[in-house]
Amino acid sequence: MSLRDILLQIAQVAAVLLLSPLLQGFIHRYEERVQRARGPSLIQPYRDLWKLFHKELVIPEGASAIHFLAPVVAFTAMLIVPILIPVLTNFPLPLSNMGDILGGGLILTLGGFFITLAGLDSGSAYGGIGSSRSVMITILAEPTLILVLVGITLLANSMLPFVVNHLLVGDLSVYWSPAHVFLVCAFFILLLVETDRMPIHSSTHIEVYMIEEARILEYSGPLLALVRWASAMKQFLLYTIFCNVLLLPWGLSIQGTVLGTLGAAVAVLGKLALIACLVILVETAQSRLRFYRYQEPLAASFLLAALAVIANQIR
Amino acid sequence: MSLTLAAIVLIAPLVAVVGCLALRSPRAAEMLNLAASLVTAGAALPLPFLASPAQTGMDGYLLVDRLGAWVVLCAALVYVTASIYAISYMRLLDEAPRLPRFYALFAGFAWTTLTAPLMNDAGVYWIAVELTTLVSTFLVGFERAAESVEAAWKYIILVSAGLSLALLGTVLFYWAGTVALGPHYQMTWQALGQVASHLNPTLVTLAFLLVLVGYGTKVGLAPMHTWLPDAHSEGPAPVSALLSGALLNAAMIGIVRYLSIAEQAGAGSVPRVALIALGALSLLVAALFIVRQRGVKRLMAYSSVEHMGVIALGFGFGGPLGVGGALYHMLNHALNKSLMFFGAGSMMRAYGTKDMTEIRGVGRHFPIAGALWLAGAVAITGAPPFGLFLSELAILRAGITSNAWAAGLMLVLLVVIFAGFLNHFRVMYFDDALAQAPKQKAVDGWSLTAMALCLVPLLVLGLWWPAAFSSLFHEVYATLSRGMP
Amino acid sequence: MTLPHFPPLAASFFGLLAIASLLLAFVMLGSRWLRDYMYAFGLQSWLIALISAGIGHYEQVPELYLVALLTVLFRGLLLPYLILRILRRLHADRELHEILQPASALVLGAAGVVLALAVAYRIADALGDPGSPVIILALTVMLSMKLIGFLMLSIRHEAISQILGLMILENGIFLGSQILIPGMPLLIELVILFDLLVAVASFGVLARYLMEHAGTTSSLQLRKLVG
Repeated sequence: MSLRDILLQIAQVAAVLLLSPLLQGFIHRYEERVQRARGPSLIQPYRDLWKLFHKELVIPEGASAIHFLAPVVAFTAMLIVPILIPVLTNFPLPLSNMGDILGGGLILTLGGFFITLAGLDSGSAYGGIGSSRSVMITILAEPTLILVLVGITLLANSMLPFVVNHLLVGDLSVYWSPAHVFLVCAFFILLLVETDRMPIHSSTHIEVYMIEEARILEYSGPLLALVRWASAMKQFLLYTIFCNVLLLPWGLSIQGTVLGTLGAAVAVLGKLALIACLVILVETAQSRLRFYRYQEPLAASFLLAALAVIANQIR
Repeated sequence: MSLTLAAIVLIAPLVAVVGCLALRSPRAAEMLNLAASLVTAGAALPLPFLASPAQTGMDGYLLVDRLGAWVVLCAALVYVTASIYAISYMRLLDEAPRLPRFYALFAGFAWTTLTAPLMNDAGVYWIAVELTTLVSTFLVGFERAAESVEAAWKYIILVSAGLSLALLGTVLFYWAGTVALGPHYQMTWQALGQVASHLNPTLVTLAFLLVLVGYGTKVGLAPMHTWLPDAHSEGPAPVSALLSGALLNAAMIGIVRYLSIAEQAGAGSVPRVALIALGALSLLVAALFIVRQRGVKRLMAYSSVEHMGVIALGFGFGGPLGVGGALYHMLNHALNKSLMFFGAGSMMRAYGTKDMTEIRGVGRHFPIAGALWLAGAVAITGAPPFGLFLSELAILRAGITSNAWAAGLMLVLLVVIFAGFLNHFRVMYFDDALAQAPKQKAVDGWSLTAMALCLVPLLVLGLWWPAAFSSLFHEVYATLSRGMP
Repeated sequence: MTLPHFPPLAASFFGLLAIASLLLAFVMLGSRWLRDYMYAFGLQSWLIALISAGIGHYEQVPELYLVALLTVLFRGLLLPYLILRILRRLHADRELHEILQPASALVLGAAGVVLALAVAYRIADALGDPGSPVIILALTVMLSMKLIGFLMLSIRHEAISQILGLMILENGIFLGSQILIPGMPLLIELVILFDLLVAVASFGVLARYLMEHAGTTSSLQLRKLVG
């Protein structure tokens, strides 16, 4: 537990904290660009967060302690996860043994769960609808996520994301094996689902049929800033897990030098930008579906995860 | 000698096919078909008695052995009687311009049912059975009404799906055989039988079960029988006779041959138990549907399911009595079912309805045909002095010693079917509720001849089990138990 | 048991193609548009032809090249063309009334694959040393394509979907037999190919009769024959 390792750990958490609004800004800007509008600037989310932290806190009448607790829990959970996964370095840092892949998934879900509670707690109609819809999707998405994590575990015979990373970097035949390809596809669909980008609704505030945004409609001021930041961090973390553990495991710092870490940060941004472009493409190219067809991408993801587990057994 | 006879059996229907396609006049087509069927029957009659030892021809693709020749005999007899009957029946349909094509298809269908039992290579056997499906679909849908097309569609989809299972079973048998015969070999029944003891038992069990379900769909064993009532009731009566009498037997022979190979490979009791279970289930389903039946031809179709169940039970029980009884049952059932379908077809045309509740006073209006039909009904439910009684008795005797439960169930269900079936006939003959007179021209000399031709051998075979048949059956049993079909 | 022994690169190549075919079968299971099924089926036939050609190369069986070529011609090009023609004539685009939703069908298909894997393991155990994992893979893919074909036959009611379900059944057998028994007699393989063609032609004619006389090609409406 050297000083360098501790600093690296803090740097990882700080990277996630500071760079997640940038990813959010990137996605918003280029989504608009694809639709031939001008799009907001890349650092607009930072300005929004600054503005929100200076605004007055308005609380609905029926709110209980959950209303204050939920944003804090979500934010904290999102700060814990970067400790467990490879963000900048490809070797495990101290405290990354606190949890494995399953533990990371659990903490991510915990944050989302508290936001769902907050949506119910506010007592407004939109909050209730948002919470119920997001739970309906979670019922199908969580088992699929667990199956994907099982598939990853079986692939590398270990539950630590670092081992998976090493395996995929070292052994090209595993990288191109059908099990891995299926896991990548399954996780991509889950990525779309968890970051609220399924083609069954529009991810802006204007539409009546928003799913995740509806839960936080009653928040204002610093609490809203925390909630927004937490969701941006969740998106960043999911993209990071997708890249660094599954799809593009290269470009991480191997020795932990300052130059290496900075280079890894830039590389992470580059990889995430690539994934973001893919997500934008998938989302804008597809027309909106009926709500109850949300089962179909999730069933496809479940199927791919099951096929990955089976293909792994026959490897 | 047997090879030349087999060649005649195979070539005569082909000549009829080509001829009927070229002809325009329905009369000429009728007569050509009849002539071809007479030649075929003439060649097929002595064939089972000359087919020992088994001979192979055509580069090993043709196999003339006792079992195959017996099934060919049944098929040829049905072909002849159905051709005679078709002359009278098809004239009632008012479809004169399409009749040559009907006879071409008819002869083609008969050709495929005659070819299948003689095929030596198991893969070619599968192809022949698939061909029968394709040809008979158009025959079933010949009348171009909504119900006929629906029946033809269900028939082809169901049976093709079942046959694909049989193909998988065939492929798995081939794979099992590569252990002793190398990666390239011609999968004849004899080759498989010779190496049967070296085959892997698990693989062979799986393959046999697939073949049982696959060809069982074609035979009409429950629960794969659902196409049978529709196809047999919607096709014209001669086609139904050929379907019931010839086709079902041709598919059964595949199951029997694979069963003997599976037994030799050491698959244990699973194959026999499966066959007995399916046979008993067919009897049960048939009994339930016969008791509560409204359509006259559907009644006959369910009776086919019943008798196929009895034959399956016979082969499943095994032993010389079981195999002999099942083979004798094949012949008697073919004759009897043709008789029933002929009578049903004529009555349908006469009264203009398929519903049995509207057919009344048959005995009064049609003395001779009615008597023949009633005799056939008594025969088909297994009453003496007709042939089916003897064969069912033999099968029961085979079953009592080995599988008492199945034999007991068979006995009970046969009695239930006896009562239910004859109840329908009681209503049709002795219950004079309806006053409307049927069309007398529906029954003429041709149909009466056909029906009589079916009934007389049935009576004779019921009073006298020929010794020649006994020795033939015993030889078939011996070859089957040696694993060399 | 003469099991084919492939070099590792060939084994993973065949494995990849087999799994891709299975994936296409699932695409067929989960889509509503009949045209999608047909394209997926055509692509699947091309993949199987690739497998045939590959096996012909590795096992030194030159007849398999002919089989591969015929597969591409008949199953990959002619069959989809015939089915497209039937589709155009019948004016049927997609499944209107679903008996089972595509999502649930996908999950059922996954359960079928697990069952097929269990059976394949049992057979491999009974055979002793299976040689290479591609054997288990071939058995699994063959059996699961059978199960998926039957699933499609049960839950789809359009005439064309039922025909395609039958085609998947035969495709599965063909795939398995290519990998497991490369030496199957050429005659059988050729006749199976032709037989498929004749079957589809018959289906086309029948579907036309269905449309003319029964007024519909959906099996949900074929209810006249009961009891």
